[in-house]
Amino acid sequence: MNPFIKVCGLTYSYDDEAVVKKHAVINNVSFEINEGDFVAVLGHNGSGKSTLAKLLNMILVPDSGEIYVNGKNICDDSMTDEDILEIRKSIGMVFQNPDNQLVATIVEDDVAFGPENLGIPSEEIRARVDNALKDVGMSEFAHHEPHRLSGGQKQRVAIAGIIAMMPRCIIFDESTAMLDPVGRKEVMNSIIRLNKEKGITVIMITHYMEEAARADRIIVMNDGSIILDGVPSYIFENESLLKECGLSVPQCTELVHRLREHGICLDKAGVSIEECADMILKHITEDK
Amino acid sequence: MSKLVLENVSFYHGRGTPYEIKALDNINIGIPAGKITGLIGHTGSGKSTLVQMFNGLLEPHEGRVLLDGVDIWSQPKKIRDVRFKVGLVMQYPEYQLFEETVFKDIAFGPLNMGVPESEIEERVLEAADFVGFERELLYKSPFDLSGGQKRRAAIAGIIAMRPEILVLDEPAAGLDPRGREAIFTNILNYQRANGNTVVIVSHSMEDMARLCDNIIVMSAGEILMSGDKDEVFTQSERLTSVGLDVPQITQLMNLLKIKGVECPDGIYTVEMAFEYLKNKLR
Amino acid sequence: MKSIALGQYYPSNSVLHRTDPRIKIILAILYIVCSFLCKNIISFGLLALSAIMLIIIARVPLKTIFGGLRPVLIILIITSLFNIFWTSGDILLFEWKFIHIYLEGLYSAAFMVIRIVSLIIGTSVFLTYTTTPIDLTDAIEDLLSPLKKIRVPVHEFAMMMTIALRFIPTLVEETDKIMTAQKARGVDFSSGSLITRAKALIPILIPLFVSAFNRASELATAMECRCYHGGEGRTRMKVRHIRFVDFIPLVLVLILATALIILNLLRIGFTI
Repeated sequence: MNPFIKVCGLTYSYDDEAVVKKHAVINNVSFEINEGDFVAVLGHNGSGKSTLAKLLNMILVPDSGEIYVNGKNICDDSMTDEDILEIRKSIGMVFQNPDNQLVATIVEDDVAFGPENLGIPSEEIRARVDNALKDVGMSEFAHHEPHRLSGGQKQRVAIAGIIAMMPRCIIFDESTAMLDPVGRKEVMNSIIRLNKEKGITVIMITHYMEEAARADRIIVMNDGSIILDGVPSYIFENESLLKECGLSVPQCTELVHRLREHGICLDKAGVSIEECADMILKHITEDK
Repeated sequence: MSKLVLENVSFYHGRGTPYEIKALDNINIGIPAGKITGLIGHTGSGKSTLVQMFNGLLEPHEGRVLLDGVDIWSQPKKIRDVRFKVGLVMQYPEYQLFEETVFKDIAFGPLNMGVPESEIEERVLEAADFVGFERELLYKSPFDLSGGQKRRAAIAGIIAMRPEILVLDEPAAGLDPRGREAIFTNILNYQRANGNTVVIVSHSMEDMARLCDNIIVMSAGEILMSGDKDEVFTQSERLTSVGLDVPQITQLMNLLKIKGVECPDGIYTVEMAFEYLKNKLR
Repeated sequence: MKSIALGQYYPSNSVLHRTDPRIKIILAILYIVCSFLCKNIISFGLLALSAIMLIIIARVPLKTIFGGLRPVLIILIITSLFNIFWTSGDILLFEWKFIHIYLEGLYSAAFMVIRIVSLIIGTSVFLTYTTTPIDLTDAIEDLLSPLKKIRVPVHEFAMMMTIALRFIPTLVEETDKIMTAQKARGVDFSSGSLITRAKALIPILIPLFVSAFNRASELATAMECRCYHGGEGRTRMKVRHIRFVDFIPLVLVLILATALIILNLLRIGFTI
């Protein structure tokens, strides 16, 4: 099977006026993402993770390297406007600031914005909007004004606006960074549901390790390059490397790490609280 | 000794309109001098309203706010002086940057206070040191800084006023771990340098457990708990009952307890859990 | 600050609220024409009556209506005084030193007041009280759509209006936030000379502009990601169909206009 997204040797640099030379933000990056995957891209600010997202969505054009979406090279010069629309339709994007991505004054009109742009017939837009709002649990707010909603609710409306375009993949560009813990949970739950129940490929860009831990695979970026790529339990084993990259490890993982350094034999790094608790429990019972 | 005391303070949003909402309900608290106090609560629990009481940005509808034992509203015309004594760093304070250079922006508060020109530079440099700014950064435009640097520039703008109490509303919101770490280190250093009184509002229980001496927990416009952090974090059920999280490490210990492992209450840092478990697992 | 009301939309479910906004724009224009058709006492009476009818049909409380008239009150008073004292005619009612008041003057003052008040009531009932700003924007886009053929950017204009309406509350909130932050740094907005106060606005306006530009650029990216590519090939979720009942108010206003024209021909009563 062909991967849904395939990136080879991608390089991108910003023109930095102050330094007069090109500053590479993405440096020779290659990876593949299959349909239905849930991938977290982890890195501190300025590690190039947001630039990567904008390249995948053709908001930016790479200096060199290729990006294949569904087998089609999107960096090809022969891409027509229709092709670009097709890519944006199949790879939706949700951004950081919930206020700056809502266009309309009524929630349901905002959700309809994407499908309207695609020229979909009215009755079908209606059905898609209703379904999308249901998927994120915002149906009862369909007639509300976006500015009266909480941050988490706004962000869920933004997600609904993307779902209504029926994309195959959604990129979340630090979509939880500006939310409070309640809003963050709401949005995380919506993201996981989209992936598990609707089979939408999710690329989640974040700097929260706790959130990344819920993905099936984590790509860690630092200074424009991929430094780690694998399942969460593998990533979390590399505690010191993560810390060097300006990332903080969840408290539980740190505890397990310190216990292991102390010579206590725990077999895994411990990704979730439950996993850590079970491991400690197992150790105690085995001792007896 | 409490530096700042709130006595029976109540406040209503939209007072006198049909949409009147009680935002603060009979609040009685003291902010201890020379310590870091953490203020925890949900969005809409009244935290942000409360901190605006501290420096007289809002006037309580009932009750009194006492700074060093003096009612700050006894002379309403002098309320501006209170704002210099209680420095408030708002949420996402980078929005307040407007001057041509970082230096000028940090100097803005002190200039409004009427600090003589000769003293301005000293204050700006001192504040810049606290937030770990290199000298050359001070002559850049504040709009050319990175997100974390902007945040620190805004905080320096308040520190330069040399307030007696520094209040920070969500100082690390939206920053990456590196940015958070830098800000918290700055705050700790600032507090330790002169034994300043600091109040931090935050959602992150892990950060609060690490930084604060005292904790005030708010819920629905009321004080739910207030006291020493050991005291507050020992009662994790009360925190979770109002939908607040407890530090992840406390969650782990609670989970172990449920699974039948004997664990003491009030473990809220990795250090404490490590000390306890290393002997138990040996 | 959060409860900021945009326009003066008065939520209700009257016949006029349900009427197609495009029809309402046409009605408002017709009503303006009607008010200028009035030439004599009976037609002005009819105009006043129609304004009262409109208020009743729209079910907008009188308090709201008077509130809307308050800004023009001074203009009304000054112009009626001018009309009363400076209009000369045949029937002298009152004379004292240089002051002469003629019946014609009283009439023209009354006519003018009726005309302005009905004009305001008519347009605001049709457009602002019973129609949300967003419906109005859509209706204007629809009505002006023939102009697209001669390359007038009707869609772009409507899009700008929509975005402006969406972001006004956000920017108001933000202004509030920036003001509080600067107050905490000792800015004083309420005292000092005019120049000092104007200067105090700089720390508000610069951050507000910077943030507005940032928002605009982020919004543009987000819109592009949602496949926005101008008005071409765009559909709408809510398509309004003009129903039969929508024509009833149109017919009524047309009858009013015809009646006014006939009344002008008859030249009954006092005429200007």
